[in-house]
Amino acid sequence: MQQLLLQMLDGTVTSLKVFVLTLIFSLPLGFIVAKGRMSRNFLLRGIVNLYIQIMRGTPLILQLIFVYFAPYYVIGFSYDRFTAVIVAFVLNYSAYFAEIYRSGLQSIEKGQYEACKVLGFSKTHTFFFIILPQVVKRILPSLGNEVVTLVKDTALAQTIGVSELFRVAQNAASRMFSTMPIFVAGVFYFIMNYIVSKMFDFFEKKLSYYR
Amino acid sequence: MEELMVKAEGISKSFGSLEVLHDISFSLTKGNVLSIIGPSGSGKSTLLRIITQLEKADGGTLEIKGCRLFENGVYAKAEEQKRIGRLTGLVFQSFNLFPHFSVLRNITEAQRAVLKRSKAEAEEKAYSLLKRMSLQDKAKSYPCELSGGQMQRVSIARALALDPEILFFDEPTSALDPELTRDILNVIRSLAEEKMTMVVVTHEMNFAKGISDHAIFMEGGYIVEEGDPVSLFEHPQNKRTKEFVKSFDD
Repeated sequence: MQQLLLQMLDGTVTSLKVFVLTLIFSLPLGFIVAKGRMSRNFLLRGIVNLYIQIMRGTPLILQLIFVYFAPYYVIGFSYDRFTAVIVAFVLNYSAYFAEIYRSGLQSIEKGQYEACKVLGFSKTHTFFFIILPQVVKRILPSLGNEVVTLVKDTALAQTIGVSELFRVAQNAASRMFSTMPIFVAGVFYFIMNYIVSKMFDFFEKKLSYYR
Repeated sequence: MEELMVKAEGISKSFGSLEVLHDISFSLTKGNVLSIIGPSGSGKSTLLRIITQLEKADGGTLEIKGCRLFENGVYAKAEEQKRIGRLTGLVFQSFNLFPHFSVLRNITEAQRAVLKRSKAEAEEKAYSLLKRMSLQDKAKSYPCELSGGQMQRVSIARALALDPEILFFDEPTSALDPELTRDILNVIRSLAEEKMTMVVVTHEMNFAKGISDHAIFMEGGYIVEEGDPVSLFEHPQNKRTKEFVKSFDD
């Protein structure tokens, strides 16, 4: 039992790595995608739109397989499985985050920009001190939703052979002829997401000083 | 010799095929108050937004305190536009306060970021303006905790904090209850007494009559009639002005 828990902790570390790396890259990248989605250049907007449609319209599991195998079949280039997982997750999550950012950015009243212009704020000052803080407050609930989903989605990494928490549990289950390890994994995911939700609750409370 | 603060000549503006301003000319001298009245869609707000650089004019010439913002529709360099922008302040109908900042920071932010004043200096200025607006106890409050009238007074303080040479009001009381309206009108009146140069777009006919030195009636993008406010409101010459003024008596 102790050995099983140690193995599962090991898998959890891999899951957490996927989780953290995906967030580090896709949170800022999503912003650039959102900007492209709102661009006045119709070609750029069209391309970004198509990218978002593909990412949202096809299964993540398929995207994982594609990202890992396509380079090998097309140009004979193969690379590390873990890297492929991160690339696929970042591509997928950037698209979702982009749409969340867009909804937040577009919900800010025009008057806020006008007040900034009349007061003489620079574009950077306007964005970082006036617009962004308000956007963050508004998108926090939907962002939290997406981040919780990401924790659970890390289980898909095993599709291309990265042994994260769920894979470890499945292997143990077949070794032990018992479904118990699967349920233990469930508890692990639940605990991780409990912490994630509590963190989002905390930030939402912190930003609730104004409406 | 009175100094010309605003000199507009033949300003025109269209949104697509819709012409919203035709050949608008007027001037305003230092220490005077101009009120602009007219029905919705008459172009009065657009005119204000052109002068405060929220919209671009298509044609005409505009000078603010002798500095040319645009001539025959061609704008000055970006730096010059910015410099001219600092001469003007605008108070919005819907206040547009920054909801995530305290009242104090709403008033200090631009002083610090744009005028590079020190924190102490900016706060001193903010407190003196808040006192003047009878809001000294609200410095630490957030806009969502204030009434409409209080929010509008904060937004006037925010504009005044940058020491504008001319202050523009775009229907400053249209979003307020009648009782709160009086507070705002009193503030504007006291500014007029101090010889602040102002342009007020308003529906408050009696107020406009009481404080302004000159009044303009606009409709359909034209200046239909202008003159001293008492004669414009009491003995309008133009048929449309008559109808508009009368509609407020009922």
